[in-house]
Amino acid sequence: MSSISELYDVTWEEMRDKLRKWREENFRNSEQIVDVGEELINEHASKLGDDIWIIYEQVMIAALDCSRDDLAWSCLQELKRQFPDSHRVKRLAGMRLEALERYEDANKLYDSILQDDPTNTAARKRKISILRAQGKSSEAIRELNEYLEQFVGDQEAWHELSELYINEHDYAKAAFCLEELMMTNPHNHLYCEQYGEVKYTQGGLENLELARKYFAQALKLNNRNMRALFGLYMSASHVAASPKVSAKVKKDNVKYAAWAASQISRAYQMAGRGKKENKCSVKAVEEMLESMQITMS
Amino acid sequence: MGEVELSCLAYAKMYLHASQFPRCSVNGLLLSSSAAGGAVCITDCVPLLHTHLSLAPITQLALTQVDVWCSQTQQRIVGYYQANACASDSSFLFVFSSPTPCALKIAEKIFEQCNNAVLLMIDGEKMFPGCRVPPIVMYERKDARWALKDKHTIMLRQWEETCSIVNQLFSSGDQALLVDFDSHLDDITKDWTNQKLNAKIMELVSPANGNV
Repeated sequence: MSSISELYDVTWEEMRDKLRKWREENFRNSEQIVDVGEELINEHASKLGDDIWIIYEQVMIAALDCSRDDLAWSCLQELKRQFPDSHRVKRLAGMRLEALERYEDANKLYDSILQDDPTNTAARKRKISILRAQGKSSEAIRELNEYLEQFVGDQEAWHELSELYINEHDYAKAAFCLEELMMTNPHNHLYCEQYGEVKYTQGGLENLELARKYFAQALKLNNRNMRALFGLYMSASHVAASPKVSAKVKKDNVKYAAWAASQISRAYQMAGRGKKENKCSVKAVEEMLESMQITMS
Repeated sequence: MGEVELSCLAYAKMYLHASQFPRCSVNGLLLSSSAAGGAVCITDCVPLLHTHLSLAPITQLALTQVDVWCSQTQQRIVGYYQANACASDSSFLFVFSSPTPCALKIAEKIFEQCNNAVLLMIDGEKMFPGCRVPPIVMYERKDARWALKDKHTIMLRQWEETCSIVNQLFSSGDQALLVDFDSHLDDITKDWTNQKLNAKIMELVSPANGNV
């Protein structure tokens, strides 16, 4: 089996740089990281200098993701040898135990870190991840809320909490988390769009109008967001169809829906151009838009 | 109730869908190209989502689009499948294969249109190489609730062949061709009806065995 460097004709420097890019952008392409990282470690360790330690960490986590305990173990050994008393390495050892589903042992490890250093956020978050993996959603939610009372700026934690609430169908609380995220990340179209989806799911005239506004906001931030476009179409259509709205509101929403529909058609026309298999998708969208018009009246 | 047949094509795509997103819960719709009445023959499936399964707008959108596509291609929606990301803590047992409220809701909707609708849960714990048993659990509507289906009423034709086809798809890298509705929304040039992948799978299905 040929090596990555042979297959893709890349140098070890390019492989190292690719790993750095994936690290910085927090990609979870674990199979690729394992392929590239394993070769880098095996063939070019001496050239990597101090970079090697962070690469060991990155590859170890990716290896756990791919059930490569052999690789994870050897990376862990190198890190343990170099940093014998490190909490960061201890946390990695804990993650390996989690991957092996030895949750009690993992928790013991994290507890020992927290005894030493009660502010260690990484260990706290791993404990919450264990609860999630075990399906203990209500406990995970409770712990995460407590965590956020102390570490109110932790974006990752707010997002995790919103996901947990969505899974539990607690849309009001999910909306609250997304509001926090939108406040601190006003240019993130994904949060606006997700908020729109939550509001739409909650239902009722007020929520649908709110949903429409946030879908529109998401589109302002990124006019290629298809979910937001469809969301705008659907929420505007529902508002226009509601018997409780004034003639003006109805008229406005019919306009919004019509605009969204034309944008959707346009996007599909452009995407479908020349591709045979997309023709049926385009047709399906056209028919769907038509059928939704019918239910509106 | 009645018998359910699961085709190689449907099984393979469901399996591929769950494998493509091992850290997410995934879901999709089960389709049949045979006439109503008698045994339920699941001949194909449409992978839907891998994010936010319990949010309404995209699910509604997907259901509408699949409905339209089905009427264009003489197919019917006859069921729903889901694979959970982790064990759920319902019913005292931490199992991967219990239907979540979201699964039950969507299955109910389908049951309104199809009175022998099937709810299929993929059991993640049984998805490892060399597992002898199909990693699926089926439910059917009985006495106003969803009850486990008797294993003997579920037929997977040519199980060994199906497994080998799935393995071939992985080794050729063709499993990456699978597009679900979520991926389609990320890039609408991608085909959620998976025409290309369907063709590849049908090629691998042995012609001598005829009906799959």
